[in-house]
Amino acid sequence: MAELPKTRGVAAERLQRVIPVLVVLIAWELLSRSGWVSARLMPSLVLIAQALWADLLSGLLAFHAAASLSRALSGFALAVLVGVPLGVLMARVRWFDAMFEPIFSFGYPVPKIALYPLFVFALGFGSPSKVALIFLECLFPIVLNTCFGVRSVQKKYLWSAANMGAGAWRTFFQVLLPAAAPVVFSGIRVALPLAMVVVVITEMIGDSRGLGYFISYSSASFKYPSAYAGVAVVAVMGFTLDRALVALRAKLIFWERAPRLAQ
Amino acid sequence: MSVRASNHLRWLGGVLPVALLLALQWGSMREDAPRYAVAPLQIAITLWELAASGELWRDALASLRRSMGGFAIGAALGVGLGLVCSVMRPLRNFFDPLVSLAYPVPKVALLPVFITWLGFGDASKVAMIALAVFFPTFINSLYGARSVNERWVWTARNLGASRLQIFFRVVVPASLPQVFNGLRSGLALSFVVLFAAEMVGSKNGLGNLVMKAEESMRFDLMYAAIVGIGLIGFGFDRALLALRRRILARRFPGEAAHG
Repeated sequence: MAELPKTRGVAAERLQRVIPVLVVLIAWELLSRSGWVSARLMPSLVLIAQALWADLLSGLLAFHAAASLSRALSGFALAVLVGVPLGVLMARVRWFDAMFEPIFSFGYPVPKIALYPLFVFALGFGSPSKVALIFLECLFPIVLNTCFGVRSVQKKYLWSAANMGAGAWRTFFQVLLPAAAPVVFSGIRVALPLAMVVVVITEMIGDSRGLGYFISYSSASFKYPSAYAGVAVVAVMGFTLDRALVALRAKLIFWERAPRLAQ
Repeated sequence: MSVRASNHLRWLGGVLPVALLLALQWGSMREDAPRYAVAPLQIAITLWELAASGELWRDALASLRRSMGGFAIGAALGVGLGLVCSVMRPLRNFFDPLVSLAYPVPKVALLPVFITWLGFGDASKVAMIALAVFFPTFINSLYGARSVNERWVWTARNLGASRLQIFFRVVVPASLPQVFNGLRSGLALSFVVLFAAEMVGSKNGLGNLVMKAEESMRFDLMYAAIVGIGLIGFGFDRALLALRRRILARRFPGEAAHG
């Protein structure tokens, strides 16, 4: 607010964003070595790095990460494939909206995770029950944002398109969809971290594969450095996926800058 | 983000839920029905019995104590720190990079670690929920306050308002709509984390009731607990929206109805 932006080099800007992270890491290391907290519960970063390296080399982390990633991405991709068309239909077709809108607005705040045991009975303990729950959890923000985005496209764009003789098909693909894309994308961006949360949780509840299982198994067998190594891999995965989505957005919606995280 | 259908088609909204209930009722009465297909009527009866015996309230209260404790701590820290960071540049330069780095990371990955630190009781769950709630409330408060119209701040300064006055009388009220958006995402997240944590390891609470019922193959009990969880999530969200409307109605007549 009312602060003039200082002109600073890119390098200085980067440095300023790295320093806080370094401060936290150093604080962790000092706490771990100080003896105030149990060094077993809060192991030194060196031990965590060693565990990470060992578990990476043995292929253990790659195995579990691949399981988690494929589940999270399948559920997420399904939700996008179903959710975007459903949202568009709700925004454009009256009876569709009347039929589905109450389900999505009432179901939105309900914690879907409670249905997991049911999914396990219907689909088994493996990947299908987890993918189904991820799909369900991601569907809500995608449908609601798509519907909202399509609905808030300015009428004058549609009128202009009709005026210039565009058919229904062209209006949809060249006017409606691009105009709604920014809002559709913010729904998708809300859904992706949800997919990661749900995959980790369901793997903790019951499985023998996936990073959620790896973390809870390592910590239950007192291998805390390994547990933290697993947390680090989950963190890197969540962060990278989000960056990739932002990069994709910049390519697809090149005419508008991505909003900050708050959306 | 509410989208209203035109009135004469309203009845269509009931079609799918009623069809689903009827299908479940009919499906559960068939000979070859799987055991997890429980008649909705049976679920309603079990829910009634649970409520009458007080068992439901005990678990619901245990769940609510944890989620509200965690939500209150996380939201107070997130909103407070987010608003303060918006007016103090050094503080913002420290927290903003950390929060944007950690925001897309699923914090629940730390749950087993929290359990070994703080035990299977309330503390680990409250801490986990507080951590999860902190991020959306912080980010929404910070960016909400940062996008306050600069002219309002200039006007206040022109009229001789002190920095504290500007913060409490201009910045905080003007960022309320965005703060409420953060609180709403945080509330939804708090229930997801709560029930997940209770399913992973707990001695009571509705999430634990679901797991206990599942282990003893009492599917009617399981559904009853799931319905309880759904009602809690839904009820609290509506309560927050009502609170939002009440608080915002006077200042932002346009914003209040929204969302």
